[in-house]
Amino acid sequence: MIEYLIDGPLWHLSLAVFGIGVVWKLGSIVFASRRQDLSVARAAAGPAAFKTVFSRFIPHKEISSQIVIPLVAGYMFHLGLFALLFFAVPHVSFLEQNLLGFGWTPMPHWAFIVSAQLAFLGLIILWLRRMTNPVSRLISTLDDHVVAILTFVVMLTGCFALLEGATALRLLHRFTVELWLIYFPFSALMHTFTFIPSRAFTGAWFGRRGIDA
Amino acid sequence: MSFRLHRPTPFFLRLVTILLLAVAILLPPTSGASNIPPKSPDYPQGVSSINPGSDLWREVRQRDGLIVDGISQVKGVETGVLINVRGDQWARFRINEVTKTVSYALVGVFGILVLVFVLRGKVGIKGGRSGRVVRRFTDYERIVHWTLTIVFLFLAITGLILLLGRPLLLPLFGKEVFALFASASKEGHNLFGPLFLVSLLMMLFSFTRHNIYEKGDLGWLLKLGGLIGDGHPSVGFFNMGEKFWYWIVILIGLVVSISGLILVSPNFGQGRVIMEISHLVHVIGALVLMLGSLGHMYMGTIGIEGALQGMTSGYVDTNWADAHHDRWSRECQQKGLTLSADEFARLRGETPAADAEVAAQERAK
Repeated sequence: MIEYLIDGPLWHLSLAVFGIGVVWKLGSIVFASRRQDLSVARAAAGPAAFKTVFSRFIPHKEISSQIVIPLVAGYMFHLGLFALLFFAVPHVSFLEQNLLGFGWTPMPHWAFIVSAQLAFLGLIILWLRRMTNPVSRLISTLDDHVVAILTFVVMLTGCFALLEGATALRLLHRFTVELWLIYFPFSALMHTFTFIPSRAFTGAWFGRRGIDA
Repeated sequence: MSFRLHRPTPFFLRLVTILLLAVAILLPPTSGASNIPPKSPDYPQGVSSINPGSDLWREVRQRDGLIVDGISQVKGVETGVLINVRGDQWARFRINEVTKTVSYALVGVFGILVLVFVLRGKVGIKGGRSGRVVRRFTDYERIVHWTLTIVFLFLAITGLILLLGRPLLLPLFGKEVFALFASASKEGHNLFGPLFLVSLLMMLFSFTRHNIYEKGDLGWLLKLGGLIGDGHPSVGFFNMGEKFWYWIVILIGLVVSISGLILVSPNFGQGRVIMEISHLVHVIGALVLMLGSLGHMYMGTIGIEGALQGMTSGYVDTNWADAHHDRWSRECQQKGLTLSADEFARLRGETPAADAEVAAQERAK
């Protein structure tokens, strides 16, 4: 019964909430009414927007020495999680069999383990930094903590189910993934999709005014 | 692991068996004298024979204490040994001796700590809290400490499930649920193990400067931190006990990490003996760390008032610092590194008492 629920209706419900929620959120951002910029453009906004999307991957020199921990841990976590999500053997075969109908070459087992370790360590350090740094602590909301803990739990249950031998452990992982998908559109997890338009908007806004952002 | 013994070959073995049976039947009874019951008028003579495979199985089971290495197509360490009796001995030793020792040690130390708390209670701050605080640990130091804590606790819990789960959890939850616990713990323990080594190295690079021997440490040790003689011995940033614990964590932690890596990577040519020694070293080292951690956690939380604050907020009360680390406290106060309660509250994003009072007065007007 639980297996049927988790593999069936709950999975479809979570996918629907995730898909509709993300599209709705992105749509509401794209189609939100904005005041027309009446200022005379000093430079083209498009190239500045494009440049800013990528330039933000590297911190400004002025602050780089102060953000070494979140920078390194951030890259560890995000790259590790990306590799896990899209190149782990069970995920590739799951996506092929259940969603896409095609697959790609997954990464070898040792790379999978290293990716998981990077992701875990990065996430732990990022969350601890949020708790210990006075400024990060002040600007953090409950949602930030829920997102960190929920993501950690999803990764942890995935790690528990590594052997792929026990149905209960697989179901536990899938259930936490479903919770994560349902929570996704209503939380800071949306930065997965919004970071590109956000950077582009900032770059365009400043670029139009001739500011190198 | 598939296994095929090539000496003798199956065909040859069958042939030898048939020949031995034939010889055993044809030979006169005296050839098997040792197996024939003693002659007695009440005991009828029967036909007896030697098990033709007894020599083979005696060697396989290593009855004579010699490990007979056969030939196998599987190339690897000890793949020529069909049954390793030492493995059974090790399993029994692990189940009977290691698990018992670990259980007794953990329960014993926990009991001692409970007894200490009952007898002594929480050690308060001499003179109470002053309200002024001084910074004890940087954000980075606290991140390193808590990273190591999280990883260590996870490894300790999963490790104990793997070691003590069979006698403790199996009777409680049954085979199926325990199998889930054990499988999940094994995967989690193996995955998080290397993170412990990384956290340990982070700690080595960030805390070592505070843990070098300095003048006065020997005096602290001789007075056992104030238990012998009058007054609290003068102490800098860390006392000798804390330094001792730090180097135990680093050195034993490295031993536990290396032995763990040997265990988790059995494909680098290490044999059964090395694996068994690594296992034992891993368990003993982990036990030392767990027992020490119990004491460390006790002292840091319910044992000594004000100590935990140093690791949660990064700041400690100046009276606490005066009582436990007087030399370091004096240095900080001389440099003017202390903060008032209101400054500390603002730093924490809380409403300072003074601001709250002003706000209350304004509301009253």
